[in-house]
Amino acid sequence: MLSRTAENIYWFGRHLQRIENTARLVNVHAYLSLDLPRHVPLSWGSLVEILGAWPQFSTRYNQGSEAEVAHFLIADEQFPGSLRSTLSLARENLRATRETMPNDIWERVNELYALVSARGESVTYRRIRTDLLREVIDQCLMTVGMLVSNMSRGVPFQFLCLGLALEQADMTTRIIDVRSSGAVGDGQRDELTPFRTIQWMSVLKSLHAYQMYRREQRTRVSAPRVLSFLLHDRNFPRSVSCCLWAMQQTLPRLPEGHRVNEALTAVNDILQRSDVARLLADEDNAALGQVLDDIQLALGQVHNRIEQHFFQPD
Amino acid sequence: MTELTNWARYRSPTYDELIGPDGKPRPAARALTGYLSSLTAAELADRRLAAELAIKSLGITFTVYSEGRNVDRAFPFDVIPRTIERSEWDRTEAGLKQRVTALNCFIADIYGKQHIVRDGIFPGELLEKSVNFRPQCVGVRPAGDVWAHICGSDLVRDSDGTIYVLEDNLRVPSGVSYMLENRMVNKRVFPEIFESSTILPVDAYPAELYDMLANLSPRPADQPVIGLLTPGIFNSAYFEHCYLALQMGVELVEGPDLFVGDDDCCYMRTIYGPQRVDVLYRRIDDLFLDPEVFHPDSVLGVPGLMRAWRAGNVALANAPGAGVADDKVVYAYVPEMIRYYLQQDAILPNVPSYLCMREDDRRYVLDHIDELVVKPANESGGYGMLIGPRATKAERAAFAERLRADPRNYMAQPTLAISTAPTLTDDGIEPRHLDLRPFILAREEPYVTTGGLTRVAMTKDSLVVNSSQGGGAKDTWVVDLDEGGN
Repeated sequence: MLSRTAENIYWFGRHLQRIENTARLVNVHAYLSLDLPRHVPLSWGSLVEILGAWPQFSTRYNQGSEAEVAHFLIADEQFPGSLRSTLSLARENLRATRETMPNDIWERVNELYALVSARGESVTYRRIRTDLLREVIDQCLMTVGMLVSNMSRGVPFQFLCLGLALEQADMTTRIIDVRSSGAVGDGQRDELTPFRTIQWMSVLKSLHAYQMYRREQRTRVSAPRVLSFLLHDRNFPRSVSCCLWAMQQTLPRLPEGHRVNEALTAVNDILQRSDVARLLADEDNAALGQVLDDIQLALGQVHNRIEQHFFQPD
Repeated sequence: MTELTNWARYRSPTYDELIGPDGKPRPAARALTGYLSSLTAAELADRRLAAELAIKSLGITFTVYSEGRNVDRAFPFDVIPRTIERSEWDRTEAGLKQRVTALNCFIADIYGKQHIVRDGIFPGELLEKSVNFRPQCVGVRPAGDVWAHICGSDLVRDSDGTIYVLEDNLRVPSGVSYMLENRMVNKRVFPEIFESSTILPVDAYPAELYDMLANLSPRPADQPVIGLLTPGIFNSAYFEHCYLALQMGVELVEGPDLFVGDDDCCYMRTIYGPQRVDVLYRRIDDLFLDPEVFHPDSVLGVPGLMRAWRAGNVALANAPGAGVADDKVVYAYVPEMIRYYLQQDAILPNVPSYLCMREDDRRYVLDHIDELVVKPANESGGYGMLIGPRATKAERAAFAERLRADPRNYMAQPTLAISTAPTLTDDGIEPRHLDLRPFILAREEPYVTTGGLTRVAMTKDSLVVNSSQGGGAKDTWVVDLDEGGN
């Protein structure tokens, strides 16, 4: 298998997962805004922050309003992290691997790209946007489903899994990060306490984790439990632990895959060391922010290792 | 019969492929026209929409560079197929096989002992000025002395019904994937008619291409490793490169995926380490193949590839230098090549050609420039040519000037009234001009695609069928009337 092909499949997995998570994030944020009292401003800018895109956003938009942020995250052609751009990248990944990836995946992604390109400019209308994002999420899930059902479990599939799992682990930490960076303004503790619960619920919903969380925890939504669920749960596929486990499973099937192991172990060590109660103890969640940053950096190292070892040998 | 398909009122300005001059469908087209007549205008419009959707979702595109970026355009497709009767096709096929065989004899001779020059049939000075003659290839003997493994010849039909060869594309001819996809789209759109008539299948091509490539392997004992070498996603034919690699199950490689080792063998970079490559179906022009030998700044190619090829460690299809025979001036000599190498008369005629390097011809061309099509020797895609009857006086004068300055580089042909076929337009069914590009695989027994790619000028009265200039395509049906298709 060509190194370049492996790289494209890995990136296809990452892009696909990023598209789904981004779409979900925007939709859940919009629902959250409906639940908050009028005088509590919901920061749409925090979505831009999650994706680390402030510099690109602030040069071309000014208000950080719902309409602007939605346009930026969904339809903006110049922002490489927008749904439209990411879909276009996913399409280029597929185009360069069409001889390896199942044929019908190309058709599906191609159609989805055409849909987002055609509807993208109307996303400032909330109703159109909600429908579009639901469609995007459904199509992404269907694509993953087709791949899981139809693709041989050979080396290409392992690279796909690596990409899907690494991106999910990364997106999970970023979505938790919204909370610590304060999507609902902190400070007025008493008045907003009930809405904090809503907000942690929205974190779960952003990761399609609400129902599974309830079944697992059988108790009301609380910050430490949500955090613990999303970082440590062994069974929920979008938890960071579970994603790491999924990546681990691919290594024995890849040539000298063990060389990536060390980087994975490093992420695991950070996870093991982090005690959720302690992370949530301080007022401004600085400790949590720090650990999430550490995890993201360590995931970055995993990516670098994969790249050096498989995609740029010698 | 609906208004839309009232053939009695359909009039072509020249020979029409489907409808005779009496307004009656030709035998091979009868099943099709009958079927079309059974559809209402609205139904036909529906089918047209279905075809557009299929093309979009299959991602059948070609890439054009416009406004500073690359844009994917859906390939314009006409739902009404072009039909050819099998008996006529059999003769055409024989002519194409004959032609590609002679062309390969010529290329091998030119890079070998040059008998044809010494015997005074072909003027040697033409080689010195040929931009596609590669001195680096002199003395090389590719397997079976075949240089142009894949050939795409353009055929046109004049108003009297004669089929002419307009040109031979021997470098990196493209379009075969559109031929295959057009059939798939037409099957989706008109499934009923495929059940009721005998339309010969076209799907064998990728398998035939694979076998031909595999046979070129320098290590015949092993399962050959074959790659399709593409310039990358920005190339206008990238869709085709992917498509063929996928259909054949070979690796789609780009220059940076390959390297040539100290042992003069070609390797590709894989996640398991280097793997030797035996055959490259290259879709990159000669001059970009190897920066050590040709353009030193080419990043598309592979340093040392020519070295590996000359050492016989990797086969290249088509071989570098094969383009020497698709020069439009060399073209004029093909009938003589057929006589010289095969001792046969050409089955398919050339369009009568005037070579501007010959004094008599040049004088004739300059005197009749308003009637002729004048072409530069080495352009493709319909660029750089003058269509005399359609050019302004100033354009003709400017062109004549260029011609006088470099007569070797120009040839002229009479303006043919190339044939038409009924095409679905916004104004109903109208005649549009078209040509046909069959693809020929040169090997011991050459293979010819069933029919080929029919390219159609979608604009009224236009004679330019190239996709880069607004042309579209039709499915091409070779219809067997003996097998109860009527």
